[in-house]
Amino acid sequence: MESERVPAPAPSPGSDSLVELRGVSFSYNTRTILDNLTLSIPRGKVTAIMGGSGCGKTSLLNLIGGRLRPSQGEVLVDGQNVPSLNIRELYQLRKRMGMLFQHGALLTDLSVYENVAFPIREHARLPEAVLRNLVLMKLQAVGLRGARDLMPWELSGGMARRVALARAIVLEPMMIMYDEPFTGLDPISMGVIAKLIRELNQVLGITSIVVSHDVAEASMISDYAYLLGDGRILGQGTPTELQQSTSPHVRQFMDGLPDGPVPYTYPARNYLDDLLESRT
Amino acid sequence: MKIFQTLGAGTLAAIERLGRMTLFLLEVLSHAGMMVKRFVLVVQQLYSVGVFTLPIVLVSGLFVGMVLGLQLYNTLVKFGAAESLGLVLALSLLRELGPVVTALLFAGRAGSALTAEIGLMKATEQLAGMEMMAVNPVMRVIAPRFLAGVIAMPLLAALFSAIGIYGGQMVGVGLLGVDSGAFWSQMQNGVDFHEDIMNGVIKSIVFGVVVTWIAVFEGYDAVPNSEGVSRATNHTVVYSSLAVLGLDFVMTSLMLGEI
Repeated sequence: MESERVPAPAPSPGSDSLVELRGVSFSYNTRTILDNLTLSIPRGKVTAIMGGSGCGKTSLLNLIGGRLRPSQGEVLVDGQNVPSLNIRELYQLRKRMGMLFQHGALLTDLSVYENVAFPIREHARLPEAVLRNLVLMKLQAVGLRGARDLMPWELSGGMARRVALARAIVLEPMMIMYDEPFTGLDPISMGVIAKLIRELNQVLGITSIVVSHDVAEASMISDYAYLLGDGRILGQGTPTELQQSTSPHVRQFMDGLPDGPVPYTYPARNYLDDLLESRT
Repeated sequence: MKIFQTLGAGTLAAIERLGRMTLFLLEVLSHAGMMVKRFVLVVQQLYSVGVFTLPIVLVSGLFVGMVLGLQLYNTLVKFGAAESLGLVLALSLLRELGPVVTALLFAGRAGSALTAEIGLMKATEQLAGMEMMAVNPVMRVIAPRFLAGVIAMPLLAALFSAIGIYGGQMVGVGLLGVDSGAFWSQMQNGVDFHEDIMNGVIKSIVFGVVVTWIAVFEGYDAVPNSEGVSRATNHTVVYSSLAVLGLDFVMTSLMLGEI
């Protein structure tokens, strides 16, 4: 079943997009991950990028963050074409980006306090008292001021992600990228992370890109959503529009159907031939 | 035909990896200068790389010295040269066994630990996290560990040789009855600072660079999963040991000028 290609809106010059991808293709070895992808992330909004496992969602974040280079196309972040930046310019841009990794990526040899203080210590020389107040404010924002002396291995998955979130906002970035923020969390932790993403967006005006395959949570917090698959956009719109979409790809993903345009069975040779082979 | 293809692909992959390893070393060295400003990072690593390796180096050095004392006495006494035990013992340890055995022990203890630590940092996205915080992991994580390894190796080798000589003296003078004055005076007269001690120090510095370089590269280049980290750790010990033994022959022949 071949789905129709959904055209992405062409970003207009001077539009209020913080991130724009224009005709971006990316391949890993011989496998095409993203194929001529065009999308834009509006400034100050929460945008969800949804799609099945291995559809290129995380690669998309790594392209925006400059950790991967596209084989073609432009990745514009705040007007700067990321693949053409030199390492110094890229690091300057990254100071204005935050990223929350799937499992937090906290530095295991540092305490919670030192993890949050880490970016400031690396990039600025602040008096210890000022740094302390900054760190405690960020930890308070994620409700973990009391956990400042704990080590990463003493934290639950949800707490580790909240600490990582405090660390991601400590340099007050213009945007935060969330890579599968809800994976492996209990319902309470999931609700806490969803609330924090929404609050950070509303209170600090941070542009948020949430990569997730969790339809319910991502739909709940996002203003706009893209559905990725086969290296391209299969659907896009507000969460409500996606819920009402009649596209078979969108329907399969939103309803969690085991079979559809994404087949249940992995491509294989004829089943009977396979079974009979053992008799010869 | 297939065997040539496999051989060719393997050779190309090995050359390509060596190239990446060299570029990696150049990048590490380019950041090493900045470590002067943040020497505290190097000191922290010196503690984990050097101090934690000290017990195994001291215990091994003591036993190697004791065995060497026993073996050398057994041979020297046949030629009536038992008083030369101190000299032969010191030359063996300072020129060869000190740098080489310390490097092998260092590769097994500190090298494998460095690879596993860096490999796991990669697998748990800590290095990627640093990159996204605009912190270069080669500068923040690799360079201090590399420098610590290079600094720690000659110090550990010196301690290995010192305690080895003490072990040999315990056996030779204490147990086998070699004259104490002859033991120390022959050593004092026969050991040359430049020819023997400095050549040993140069060897241990070279081993420090090579072993630590292999260890940090293997960790940084590891496939970020449990099997990849395990394989990288294994590679560190095997490649470091082979490199140390091979380089020892090359350096010894250059230093002696015999070949």
